[in-house]
Amino acid sequence: MSQQKITVIVAKDLEDLIPTFMANRNKELGTLSVALGAGDMEQLRQLGHRMKGVGNSYGFEQISVLGKQIEDRAKIKDLTGLQTLITEYNDYLARVSIVYE
Amino acid sequence: MSDLASVRPRRHAQAGFCVLIVDDDPDMAELLGRMLSQQGMQAQVATNGAAALEMIAASPPDLVLLDVQMPGPNGFDICRQLKSQEATALLPVVLVTALEDQDSRVLGIEAGADDFLSKPVRREELIARVKTLRRLHETRKELEGRRLAAEVQRKEEIRKAFARYISPRLAERVLRESRGSEEVFRNLSNRAAVVALFADLRGFTRLSETVPVSSIVPMLNEFFTELTAAAHDNEGTVFSMAGDSLLVGFNVPVPQPDATARAVATGRAMVQRFAPVAARWQAEHGLSTGIGVGIEAGEVVVGNVGAPSFMSYTIIGDPVNVAARLMQRAEPNEILIGPSASLSLHGMLGGAMPLDRRFVKLKGKAEQVEVVTLRVAPA
Repeated sequence: MSQQKITVIVAKDLEDLIPTFMANRNKELGTLSVALGAGDMEQLRQLGHRMKGVGNSYGFEQISVLGKQIEDRAKIKDLTGLQTLITEYNDYLARVSIVYE
Repeated sequence: MSDLASVRPRRHAQAGFCVLIVDDDPDMAELLGRMLSQQGMQAQVATNGAAALEMIAASPPDLVLLDVQMPGPNGFDICRQLKSQEATALLPVVLVTALEDQDSRVLGIEAGADDFLSKPVRREELIARVKTLRRLHETRKELEGRRLAAEVQRKEEIRKAFARYISPRLAERVLRESRGSEEVFRNLSNRAAVVALFADLRGFTRLSETVPVSSIVPMLNEFFTELTAAAHDNEGTVFSMAGDSLLVGFNVPVPQPDATARAVATGRAMVQRFAPVAARWQAEHGLSTGIGVGIEAGEVVVGNVGAPSFMSYTIIGDPVNVAARLMQRAEPNEILIGPSASLSLHGMLGGAMPLDRRFVKLKGKAEQVEVVTLRVAPA
């Protein structure tokens, strides 16, 4: 897995909101893992839907992309695919680097 | 994940246009609030549908940004509810939906949504849509304000016009009970069962010969003021003042089931209200005056009569003529009640009081008519 940073540009006037936003994404990651462990497809679908809406609204396009995929995979109960996506999300959050402009 | 309370008001310095953000995702609500407040708008947040409905009921915002997928009542449910209630039907609602979710948009249109905002949210799209709806909303509010102001002005004009004829209390009742002025005026030209009361000043001829001409008009005004007040106290409609006589109608322009009782009470009140004036005139001018009253009931024509340049709202018909003749026959401080009006008088008095009945010959009538006489003590 690459350790290369993923740079995301966020509007300067949203800078003070980002720490909370990122903290919530990390909580979300934990919740996704727990839901997958419990086989709770409905919660996974809802979490994916939320990620899809909020991610790119703040400028994090990849969060929206992953959210849509999680929502879609949860609908067809693709546990393997969901596990892969949650791993990808974990990797993304670890590598994301924010630039304010 | 959420540290927000279910309802969290966020008030900003440039409060004016108020947007309620309904979203269970605190990050999304925070972002939308930030973008709106940067445009000088006031943002409030509800994190579920039930809280949103409570907030709207307590203090309606100017616009609602409504997420679709939420726990409890979803965005469609809330939108449908808002649009079905008169108080909130015109409140603009923007549904926040995923761009590719066409089904949600169709459901949103069916629920009455005014517009849609795509998720993920683009700042430019949010501002453009909210500004457009703000303009529409403010135009609509201004038009509604103008319409209400015009309605108030129109009612005031009608009230002023009516107040010339009927008591202020009755004028208010007419306006309150009629759906519009058209209905009021339509009812002003028709046939109607009324009770007509004529009253005049006894001793006026001698008075006009005795007192200085400059005093006649103020004295007549004093006389008519008391009689008009007596009529208005009993919700009678003053149809005409001519010379020293006054015509008052009851059961018109609005129904009064106790019209005869009101007419009799008015006649009594006229005598009693005028008594102190008569006593003063007696002292000042040595003249004896009193009031004669005639009352009769029956069908008349009610309407505006006259030329386009001069019209008079009046009642025309045999009961009016009979009331006038009875007035002429009445002694000072006496009320003569015609045969039709006295039919309901017996029931009104419950048969407990013996009525003073007699037959009188009236001008214009071939046969004598039976009338009831009521003497009124001026004190």
